[in-house]
Amino acid sequence: MSYEEIDHTADWAFRVTAPTLPELFTNAAYAIFALEGALDVQSTTTREVRVEGIDRQALLVNWLNELLFLQETKRETYQNFVLTHFTETELQATIHGAPSQPTTKFIKAVTFHNLDIVQTEMGWETTIVVDV
Amino acid sequence: MISKNDLERINEFVWQVPREYRRDMRVPARIWADQELLDDALQDKSIEQLINTSTLPGIVQYAIAMPDIHQGYGAPVGGVFATATSDGVISPGAVGYDINCGVRVLASHLDANEIQPHLSDLATTLYRNCPSGVGVGGSVELFGEDLDNILNRGSEWALERGYARPEDLPRTEEYGRIPWADANKVSHKARERGRDQLGTLGAGNHFIEVDRVSAIYDAESARVLDLFENQVVVQIHCGSRGLGHQVCQDYVDRFQRVVLEYGIILPDRELVAAPYTSPEGQDYVGAMGAAANFAFANRQVLAFHIRRSFAETFKGKFMDFDLHQVYDIAHNMAKVETHAVNDASIRVLVHRKGATRAFGPHSPTLPPDLQQIGQPVLIPGSMGTMSYILCGTTGSMSQTFGSCCHGAGRVWSRHRAKKEIRGEKLRAEMQERGIQVRAGSLSGLAEEAPAAYKDVSRVVHVVDAAGIGKMVARLEPLAVIKG
Repeated sequence: MSYEEIDHTADWAFRVTAPTLPELFTNAAYAIFALEGALDVQSTTTREVRVEGIDRQALLVNWLNELLFLQETKRETYQNFVLTHFTETELQATIHGAPSQPTTKFIKAVTFHNLDIVQTEMGWETTIVVDV
Repeated sequence: MISKNDLERINEFVWQVPREYRRDMRVPARIWADQELLDDALQDKSIEQLINTSTLPGIVQYAIAMPDIHQGYGAPVGGVFATATSDGVISPGAVGYDINCGVRVLASHLDANEIQPHLSDLATTLYRNCPSGVGVGGSVELFGEDLDNILNRGSEWALERGYARPEDLPRTEEYGRIPWADANKVSHKARERGRDQLGTLGAGNHFIEVDRVSAIYDAESARVLDLFENQVVVQIHCGSRGLGHQVCQDYVDRFQRVVLEYGIILPDRELVAAPYTSPEGQDYVGAMGAAANFAFANRQVLAFHIRRSFAETFKGKFMDFDLHQVYDIAHNMAKVETHAVNDASIRVLVHRKGATRAFGPHSPTLPPDLQQIGQPVLIPGSMGTMSYILCGTTGSMSQTFGSCCHGAGRVWSRHRAKKEIRGEKLRAEMQERGIQVRAGSLSGLAEEAPAAYKDVSRVVHVVDAAGIGKMVARLEPLAVIKG
């Protein structure tokens, strides 16, 4: 999967790449749970998610924060993300996951800090800073 | 990237980034540090983030970096700035996601040598009684109006429910209750996250630590706080849990929608802000206060479990195993205060992110017994190293809007710490030094390794020498409890 952790003094930062913008969103979602070490479980639950944002950066932050909200309140982790509707300001997704075991790796929130979503020769790229 | 050559030296411990350094700066930025800590601050984006805060509308005097400053998101960790309430802004991202993350210190009349044979039992009991880690349910079941009461009344709710003692409240910043809190401004999602998290420690850098007082620097202040050498004390470091994180997210998102309408141009979207007097600004003020009250209540319930753990461990072994509250302070908050700016007394909103309030002696908001010594400032060091108790000074009032540092400050990323340090080895090293360690995650332990942090003693000595805090006591760890 196309993400890599980047050094950040206090929090976590990671760079995500993808051939298309929707895939950038699903790769970023995958990266969140991979960084928490919460993957490799058999999917047993499915949820529908709908998120809005004023632009694509806000949509990305709100999408990832919605997943963290569901992780915390439903005590689940997610590993498969299917976007069923996608514009620059709204998305709908079906997400698949499983009940999570208590873990100590935890992201408090995804931030807007220096957030940029850029088009490259290879596709799309973004660097995300999260509060841990 | 900014270098030392760009800075003006104001005095031995204060450097200034002049307003002319960047076109969008509204005021200069000042850094409290010695040479070594300044070098640390210049190695990452801390100072760039500090400069970003100096561009916020309504900022007065200068933006401040404490000696423990490090790179965060939006505002740096260890950053302080004040905006005029009349025409200034409020920024949720400059307060941070863990609203009222803070530290509480409880002190016993036990001698550290006396409890040595029981230390392992105490650590195990604390770990069992104080829920920690991610996804671990709260230790208090909330019914009906409980959550609204907690959000509006903080420690007062805890007192009514038997989790606090009357004397705990005056020894809590704001008496454990932010009066302008408004539960109605807290979203359904934030409530859902907080509902089963009261009385939990969480993960990351949050901890409970049993310490001994290893030095007293100011006998009179120590007497008022009832601190003495070799005394057993307990520190709690945690905040408002998922409820606070969600409040910040909600308002960062809402502010993004109106920031341009208010004509506010920012160098970093995470600093998103709205006028303090705007409807959005006032709603955030109420919600932030409510999240802060949740954090006060959270630390109060944990204090209750710690007292219970001391009783379970020491009953029948010692006559007096009671714990009195030394103080409880907030790290991540914005508060309306009156400060002198250019010889005029004005109302300002002081944003402190990874920094503490440190009001000097005779401040009217302090309870009578603390009036003579100033507000206690609790500064935890990195895990397994020393911590300090200080008091606010007249210098903190005149130099830093009544503010002081909050800890050691990171120098290594968590990524590097995990690569270079093994949790098992770190635990073994601490245990060889006689420190009991109870941790849910060894990789989480490695991320918090002392090598990943600045030397807290150096940070505290700069604060003391610069006159923005006065050293009272030093603590050394006996047992560390982490998620």
